[in-house]
Amino acid sequence: MKLMIVDDSGIIRNRIARIVNHPDLSALEIEIIGQAKNGKEAVDLFVKHHPDIVTMDLTMPEMDGVECTKVLAYMNTKVRILVVSALSDKATALKALKNGASGFLYKPFNDEQLISAIESLVN
Amino acid sequence: MSKINETEINVFIDAIAHYFNQISNEIAIVKAAYLASDAEPPPLYDYLGVINLSGDFQGSIYFSAPRILIRHLLIAMQEPNRTEQDFLDAVGEIANTLAGNARKYFGEFMNISVPITSAAPFADIQQNTRTHPFVIMIKWRQYHASLVIDMERIH
Repeated sequence: MKLMIVDDSGIIRNRIARIVNHPDLSALEIEIIGQAKNGKEAVDLFVKHHPDIVTMDLTMPEMDGVECTKVLAYMNTKVRILVVSALSDKATALKALKNGASGFLYKPFNDEQLISAIESLVN
Repeated sequence: MSKINETEINVFIDAIAHYFNQISNEIAIVKAAYLASDAEPPPLYDYLGVINLSGDFQGSIYFSAPRILIRHLLIAMQEPNRTEQDFLDAVGEIANTLAGNARKYFGEFMNISVPITSAAPFADIQQNTRTHPFVIMIKWRQYHASLVIDMERIH
């Protein structure tokens, strides 16, 4: 299963990459195909590598996560996008889901919460 | 323009306590907010992350912490990199997370910018929206940090 990580924070990208290598997720055989720090980079990587799942931040420069989610979901309706964002209002979560996201995880998250969210996303 | 009141500041107090608990599984001591003044300006440390507000609100939210606190936090996050950029990234991400979490209470029309980060000495701090911004002091492990709420509601 190919994963792309999208977040403008390198620390968060590294953290997600580390957590998805957790033994609890080994059955999913997740391969990280790339990391993007804004929506535009994410679209380029998406076209090149066709990931199955994406973790998507929302507040990013260049192209934000809601717009990027909409573009990726348009290009591949089967892609599963997990929004990982601090924006905790209900309207933003609904907007992301309406634009093609499959799940929403609020920052700050712990390891168990991300593992559980990815398992739910895939299953 | 209507003022943010002390009850609403509790949104940020809860957010910062939750942040440190989630990231480190340790409790941070978060003190009651006080009003900064010319005589007692908000304390700033080695790094600063600023989030500017727009939409129904104006002003900014900023988080400042010493290098040692950020270093311990990166270790708690199992982040192997400790470059200057990582320290700036961390302080920006904390400011972003706290401002984003506050939208649960203040709503989607509290627009937040991407983080603007800098290291001391700070040449140009944003002009105050409030005459007396709220300051929330945090103590995590034995290190202090500050969260400054300098915002007002426009609509």
